[in-house]
Amino acid sequence: MSIYDVIFYLFAILTIGSGYLVVTSKNIVHSAFYLLFTLFGVAGLYVLLAADFIAIVQLMVYVGGILILLLFGVMLTNKVTDVKIRTGTIHIIPAVIGTGLLMGVIVSMMLRTNWKSEPGELPFTTTYGLGRILLTDYVLVFELLAMLLLIALIGAASIARRDNE
Amino acid sequence: MYELLKDIFGNDIIAYIIGAALPLFVFILPFALFAVYLERKISAFMQDRLGPMRTGPYGLLQTIADILKLIQKEDITASETDKKFFNLAPYLVFAGSYAAFAAIPFSGMYIGSNVDVGIFFIVAISSLVVAGLLMAGWASNNKYSLLGAMRSAAQIISYEIPTVLIILTIVMVTGTLSLEKISQMQTAYFWNWMIFGGAGWGLTKFLLFPFMVVAFIIFYISSLAEVNRTPFDIPEAESELVAGYHTEYSGMKFAMFFLSEYANMFAVSAIAVTLFLGGYQSPFGYLGNTLGISWLIPIEQLFWFTSKGIFFVTIQMWLRWTLPRLRVDQLMAVCWKYLIPYAFVNLIIVGIITLL
Amino acid sequence: MKQYFKNTWEGLYTVFVGMIITFKHLFVPSVTIQYPSVKVPLPERVRNRLYVNMDDCIGCDQCARACPVNCITIETVKSLPEEDLGKTSNGKKKALWVTKFDIDIAKCCYCQLCVFPCPTECIYMTDVYEFAEFERNNLIFNFATLTADEAEEKIINYEKMMAEKEAQKAAAAKAKAEAAAKTKKEDNSTEKNNGKEKDSE
Repeated sequence: MSIYDVIFYLFAILTIGSGYLVVTSKNIVHSAFYLLFTLFGVAGLYVLLAADFIAIVQLMVYVGGILILLLFGVMLTNKVTDVKIRTGTIHIIPAVIGTGLLMGVIVSMMLRTNWKSEPGELPFTTTYGLGRILLTDYVLVFELLAMLLLIALIGAASIARRDNE
Repeated sequence: MYELLKDIFGNDIIAYIIGAALPLFVFILPFALFAVYLERKISAFMQDRLGPMRTGPYGLLQTIADILKLIQKEDITASETDKKFFNLAPYLVFAGSYAAFAAIPFSGMYIGSNVDVGIFFIVAISSLVVAGLLMAGWASNNKYSLLGAMRSAAQIISYEIPTVLIILTIVMVTGTLSLEKISQMQTAYFWNWMIFGGAGWGLTKFLLFPFMVVAFIIFYISSLAEVNRTPFDIPEAESELVAGYHTEYSGMKFAMFFLSEYANMFAVSAIAVTLFLGGYQSPFGYLGNTLGISWLIPIEQLFWFTSKGIFFVTIQMWLRWTLPRLRVDQLMAVCWKYLIPYAFVNLIIVGIITLL
Repeated sequence: MKQYFKNTWEGLYTVFVGMIITFKHLFVPSVTIQYPSVKVPLPERVRNRLYVNMDDCIGCDQCARACPVNCITIETVKSLPEEDLGKTSNGKKKALWVTKFDIDIAKCCYCQLCVFPCPTECIYMTDVYEFAEFERNNLIFNFATLTADEAEEKIINYEKMMAEKEAQKAAAAKAKAEAAAKTKKEDNSTEKNNGKEKDSE
């Protein structure tokens, strides 16, 4: 077991453990904070996969952006912090069907994928390739996403503005 | 550096651990001691006082005495706090600000992790600090702490935008995210620094110069806000919020916040230096080159890097003791109405110039 | 739009001006006085700790009576006639042993009212102002030069003398009374005689 394996298991335990705590904890703010570790652990796994750019985007977008906004939302609506989330089991049958289907899809994907087990050649840097692909092959998707974000931004601003008047 | 450590200790893991711990013990702790002393002295001199004078000659040992006091102090955890997160938050905050040091090139020989997306990594990992501050503020179960944490998070997120826009400007000119490469580009003499339009001669350099100065000013202002320094210190506004998010902390945990604040101060100065002022490069050649001693060059580089960094830390302190605190609405107005539009226009103009 | 650029310029310019001001103050010599090692010269008529020059004190109790907070306690004993207590510096003869002269400086309000009535100018304000103590009792200063034994002795002496005096007085009174009784008798007889004489006249 090399040092990378140790680090991988550390991150994996961090991700899964905190993910479990996100689901089970009774306090919604606790859940949000545990989510921080889950997202961080995922970023660590990306680093181990030599996807440095993705890892940092994960940190930046999820930890730096979404999680903070989530915390803001939870904290500013102060009624939510006092509400105990019910973590009992309700609607067992539909839940089992739903999760079973999801599980099936994931497992079948895992089994069908041709995992690279031989030592492949890792690109030293992924930034260059990613940038190239984003602005050539996937430029339409890229632009559409940008448009979507812009529309969301304008919408948010207009909603906030209407409230003021 | 790792090769050297590996040669000495003969083990990968030990070399990594020592290499990772090096900036903390060799750099951040002494720097924090020195910076606290410097801050107190500068504030004193600016207010026609003397500052610490009693502990040691000219009060030189004052910060060491303070640290000893903090270590001895009882670690108080108020009964109504959320203990788990209350205890975790200072470490998270410190981890966030310490992780930024991993990608900072101290000299040609020493860079913690020469990742290719260094500057991006620093911007991203700083968000751990925000999460840590929110955690500290919330877990303290104290309205002042929570208010401070909220303000701090809002401020840091808002000012991340002009910072990132300016970083984008630099990345556009240099074509790389790696801090090491950006430093190497600005080698030789000081007119090759990014603030003077980068290396190379020609029309582009002279066209870039004014916009780089604007970019530097915007970056410096927003980086001040990102480390919660005056005039942007509303998160810990003493006169309003006691001490903001670290009101409830005492002893070593308080020291962690303090340490991370000073580490952050140096980190943002170091980034400003690396992006605009040549990083670890000397402004006028190396003594080691002239004398033909090759091992002298990294030491010289370290010297230039730290002295540039400390220069900007000093300017942060200078600003702190000059300006009063901004109001929350003024703070947001500065960011959204002034810094971001200027940064955007600057980005577009620099983009056009680099295309030429 | 014009206003916008003006605001920007003003923001930067004013920060710059402020920084120049603070920079200038970096080189202004500090006004701090390093207190225990460097002390501010006190004004000439400064009022601080009280001091009593016991050589000059005649134990007149005037200072104690002048004190608005009753911080001075004086006890005196008359000297024996044969004892010579010397003279004060301004030529007054001392007649009282001062057995106790305590000033509770913790109570003192530094009004200096005790200084003016002193006939020999032996109580005065000094410029000593560092007399912090851990216990309040330590702030009571004893100025009496006599030791406790001596004071005891003086009191005993005085009492003895008084007792003697009293005895003498008593004796004298007795003698006087006796003499008076005698004279009364004589008077009576003379009166009688006179009466007789008158009668005879």
